[in-house]
Amino acid sequence: AGISRGPVEQSPSLCVLADSREICSGPRVISCLRAEHGLRVQVCPLGTSDYIVSNRLAVDRLLQSELQSPGNRNKLSQRLQRLQGSFERICVIVETDRVRPGETSRFFQRTQYYDGVLSALVQAGIRILFSSCQEETAALLKDLALLEHRKDAAIQVPTEPEGHRRDILSFYLSIPNLSYGAALNLCHSFGSVAAVANSSVPALAAGARLSRAQAEELHRFLRHDFDLQLLPQPLPAKGKS
Amino acid sequence: PVTAGSIVVPYGHVIGNEKWRGSEVAQRLQGKVRLIFEDGLGLVDFHLSNRTCILLISEADLVAGDEFKRRLVRFRNASSLRGIVIVEKTQISDQYYLGVQKLVVLELGMVLLPVANQGEASQLIIQLVSFCVREQSRDRGANPFLRKQRAQPAEPAVLQTVQQIPGVGKTKALLLLQQFGSIHQLCNVSINELEEVVGQTVAQQIYSF
Repeated sequence: AGISRGPVEQSPSLCVLADSREICSGPRVISCLRAEHGLRVQVCPLGTSDYIVSNRLAVDRLLQSELQSPGNRNKLSQRLQRLQGSFERICVIVETDRVRPGETSRFFQRTQYYDGVLSALVQAGIRILFSSCQEETAALLKDLALLEHRKDAAIQVPTEPEGHRRDILSFYLSIPNLSYGAALNLCHSFGSVAAVANSSVPALAAGARLSRAQAEELHRFLRHDFDLQLLPQPLPAKGKS
Repeated sequence: PVTAGSIVVPYGHVIGNEKWRGSEVAQRLQGKVRLIFEDGLGLVDFHLSNRTCILLISEADLVAGDEFKRRLVRFRNASSLRGIVIVEKTQISDQYYLGVQKLVVLELGMVLLPVANQGEASQLIIQLVSFCVREQSRDRGANPFLRKQRAQPAEPAVLQTVQQIPGVGKTKALLLLQQFGSIHQLCNVSINELEEVVGQTVAQQIYSF
């Protein structure tokens, strides 16, 4: 009951980042978020996840059939493992596949494999939500964004840097395990790359809204002493170094 | 009697609430897992391990009203166990599902998994048990969704990042890193030092970046 408190006044300020591929695979999710729930949806090349709902929460939208087929296992586990590198919290929304007109509703045959995948997700501490269509998925995303907003983790920086800041954003985005949201926060909170490089771990954590461990990783990366010997050798230069 | 406290579950066993004796779930579990019935589990239906337990919500519970919600909230307040809620999502109870999901997952922060009937519930419990067993045996590598910590050299990534500076390609990035060591140091050198490594124009570009 607590969630429904005043969504009308809060929603317009809420911001969700959507991966550009979602324009094709989940168009109604995006339009529903904008039109019905009044959220600001910024489409950008996230790469890692389908949606970023707050500074710490990434959401992946999966079709039920994707969880049913063992062929997807590797792709899915790589994707979720990569997400765990850059986000504190991960949620998957399992959406029922759309029945195309003319197609008789296929009976969902629950397999042992599917139960195994769910169990593994639960054990890995990944949140699971179930949705029966794109509209419901949009409503769930809105609920998640609202919840994160109440916990003071909402995305509150401008999401569309311009000019010189674009270059700086792509510089931050190339840092491993740094999420799109964290990169935006860095752009916004620090005046220059030098200011980021000279910051302490707590300052990085506060400025980029990262957890302590993630801020430490970023700090280590910026101060990493480059050693040419450790670079994987290009093919022509193969041999003992 | 609100018992939601921890209970010692023998390795590889499941402790079931007495009220499920003879039910379809219990019958299907028997033979697949070692099931023990116990009285006085209170709110919990099945204990899978010392820290994981299951609360089962039937179609009838959903239709009957809000009693099951009180049970879930009582459990959440009384227990620090990881509670997995399994709910019977059928054609009849489907309409309640979204509301239950909002309560269980978003407000109480528990896990909610829908099944179509008791048969599916037992299959799901069997899989959950097998993951609990693996967790207890510290065989965490078996979970494909847990991040494995691999120590990878940061060199390729650092090189990649430096190349994002306008005017810097692979060759210049290598030169800069060999000369200055880290991104941190690169940010703190004077324009004159940069000019010694790259040309004047690029040095200016890097410096102003």
